[in-house]
Amino acid sequence: MNLDKLLRRVEKPARYTGGEVNMVRKNPSDVKVRIGFAFPDTYEIGMSYMGLQILYNILNKNEDIYCERIFAPAPDMEKLMRDENVSLFTLETGTPVCEMDIVGFTLQYEMSYTNILNMLELSGIPLEREERTEEHPLIIAGGPCAYNPEPLADFIDMFLIGDGEELLEEICILYSKGLSRQDFLREAAKLDGVYVPEFYEPVYDEEGCISEVRRTEPSAPETVRRAVLRDIEQADFPVNNIVPFIDTVHDRAVVETFRGCTRGCRFCQAGIIYRPVRERKEDTICDLAMKQLSNTGHDELSLLSLSTSDYSRFEHMAVNLMGLCREQNVALSLPSLRLDSFSFKVLDEIQGYRKSGLTFAPEAGTQRLRDVINKNITEDDIYSAVEQAVELGWEHIKLYFMIGLPTETDEDLDGIAEIARNIMDINYKIRGRKGGRFRVTVSVSNFVPKPHTPFQWEAQNSREEFIRKHDYLSNKLRIKGVTFNYHDTDTSNLEAVLARGDRRVGKVIKEAHRLGCRFDAWTEYFDAELWQEAFRNTGADESFYCYRQRNHEEILPWDMINTLVSRRFLEKEHEKAMSGVTTGDCRLQCRGCGVNGYTECFVNCDTEAFGQDS
Amino acid sequence: MKYIIRFRKRGVICYTSHLDIMKVFKRAFKRAGISLKHSEGFNPHPKMGFAQPLSLGYEALEEYIEFETAENFPVPDDIEEGILRPLQDIMPEGLELTGICEAPWLKKTLAAETVMAEYRVEIPADTSGINAEELGEAYMAQGEIITLKKQKKKPEPVPVDIRPKIQSLRAQSAEGGIILRMRLDQGSQSNLSPELVITTFLEFSGIGTDRSEIDVTREKIGFTRDIDKYFQY
Repeated sequence: MNLDKLLRRVEKPARYTGGEVNMVRKNPSDVKVRIGFAFPDTYEIGMSYMGLQILYNILNKNEDIYCERIFAPAPDMEKLMRDENVSLFTLETGTPVCEMDIVGFTLQYEMSYTNILNMLELSGIPLEREERTEEHPLIIAGGPCAYNPEPLADFIDMFLIGDGEELLEEICILYSKGLSRQDFLREAAKLDGVYVPEFYEPVYDEEGCISEVRRTEPSAPETVRRAVLRDIEQADFPVNNIVPFIDTVHDRAVVETFRGCTRGCRFCQAGIIYRPVRERKEDTICDLAMKQLSNTGHDELSLLSLSTSDYSRFEHMAVNLMGLCREQNVALSLPSLRLDSFSFKVLDEIQGYRKSGLTFAPEAGTQRLRDVINKNITEDDIYSAVEQAVELGWEHIKLYFMIGLPTETDEDLDGIAEIARNIMDINYKIRGRKGGRFRVTVSVSNFVPKPHTPFQWEAQNSREEFIRKHDYLSNKLRIKGVTFNYHDTDTSNLEAVLARGDRRVGKVIKEAHRLGCRFDAWTEYFDAELWQEAFRNTGADESFYCYRQRNHEEILPWDMINTLVSRRFLEKEHEKAMSGVTTGDCRLQCRGCGVNGYTECFVNCDTEAFGQDS
Repeated sequence: MKYIIRFRKRGVICYTSHLDIMKVFKRAFKRAGISLKHSEGFNPHPKMGFAQPLSLGYEALEEYIEFETAENFPVPDDIEEGILRPLQDIMPEGLELTGICEAPWLKKTLAAETVMAEYRVEIPADTSGINAEELGEAYMAQGEIITLKKQKKKPEPVPVDIRPKIQSLRAQSAEGGIILRMRLDQGSQSNLSPELVITTFLEFSGIGTDRSEIDVTREKIGFTRDIDKYFQY
């Protein structure tokens, strides 16, 4: 294939060449299984995703497996590929994707779904699994969005639910045994975390709700229990990360410190599906960080977890890492810190004179609503942190809120403006009437109910309601020094359909793709009109998925996925939310979500340290 | 201490911009434990630079990167073993380091001493009935070669005569096309992009080859002094 002719005409050709430092080279004829790890977005986004590096590392350590990378070509490249009849290819060897044994898509966000279909099409692979034969690669998918696999069930042969470190390799090994496709799927479905959509057939009642799910394969489990790593310390973590030639979203060394979160925010899917909290040991973290830095030459290190400062020995580790980074002239970046006095000391040291903005995520404007969503942060927490921040020289405060949360009223929106105004006042009080260059940015996103959360039954706000609230807030937030940003409404409504859709939503996705939808997560490419047309052409009703309040008795499309958190727990949390009752952090006391019936909580955590903060 | 490394850039790495190649070197120095002198100021950056920028998609046979090691970094007894080898070991495929020298004599920068560059351009074309040599001579025999060039601070491209900046140009027939070898002014005093020569040559000769099918290699960079003598082979 003469790629040069294409590469000379596209933007950022290095997206398509591979050859980066630490890319794995193997002779494809020496391996038993070739798997393409496909990220359904551009190279720069996919290469910033740590999960890719984790799984790439594990799979390629196995000498029988060759894992190569596949990304979505940007629109300029796609056009040339179609014009010149060039099939989608892997970066490692330039092999056409259709020659892989397995192609695995990672599902990080719903708005990437049309890109998956587009990538299959660009590979010359039939989109629907029923149209494919044993000649085609096995198409699999995993990641957070696989927890509701149904919207993609027509296109994907097999979903992997849960931690992928062990499961994906197991699947590759099973594949190498050379079973027929049917026998392979049957065998695989016996493993925890494997959902094979063709073995399940939803039946709908007159109202369009699911009345039952028939199993067409008796050996397939009734519910699919997610795969869980008991101890992440035992899982291989990469130290030879691929170093992209071009700038990506994040160009830095990254070490995952722990998985899971104990805070129990009721809108948060990650807080449920990554339970329980499992830590990596501090020595291991430091060791991995130093090895990564010396194998990549990166000059920045970041830590990965759902909430950096909830690591049980966080202060000890932070001091330790700061020392190591200082010695090596490496910048340390600690995302999502809880702002206590220790954090300020740390931030003051690692950011020095170049202070970036300080971020708070109260998520809701009043204590009442924060209790509903179980977001454990008070206004006093925020104000006393802002006071310290202003005194230490920070000039930019960023606030994140969600609107459209269950039970929300205009009073809760007023609360958002109130918080912004109070923060400005704190600055005036400390810095004087002029207040310096101090700024507050209020970013508001639209609440999207997600499967497997206590809010999975909730209706989303209508388009009109979101727009009204945006206008309302724009008015209230006309405050000097305050900037107001909000998310696109059409995107949020569509995200809600794709997140909680059933199998029939697949038709809409297919039609949207046919109409030309691509890169829906990119504002410059998202086309709400085309999606509307896709709904009309397929007769699907958006409001059935977005705006309908479900009751606890309804069979939900994702009910066959067992996250290890019990349905009863979600129901109870939902009820508590409606009466504004909070649930405390589960490090202090078990809240009975059910995970510990399957696996151990707090592996490698210093449980003695629990309860000393927060 | 100041050093100069000479390197080749061939294969798919030519689709990585020269600026991004700078980052490859920066990370490689860090990995190899070669600490560089940093600039002063609020945003210190390591002291290193290329002799000349290279367009995206060009291969190159003799490029130069200069850098200055930190004061506390000891000058190795054998700079090939102490600097060049460890760097080459971690270079991505396609970047081949072909030499290193100490450069205490370099007062300003290599860029300031650059005066010309030689390019080789392969144009696939149907050459039946074409005498490439004569075509090249006729192209060069033009009193002036006017083309439109984008100028800084001007919205519209303006006509310029590029002929005076072409030091030499030879065309020859090769299998499946024509090869141009050209020596052009390069550097801060007078500079000519090979792209303008390629476009005007294609127009002049009436060859309809698309730019995307043409390979360009920078074969040499020339300086106000002979720097080859500093490199030991």
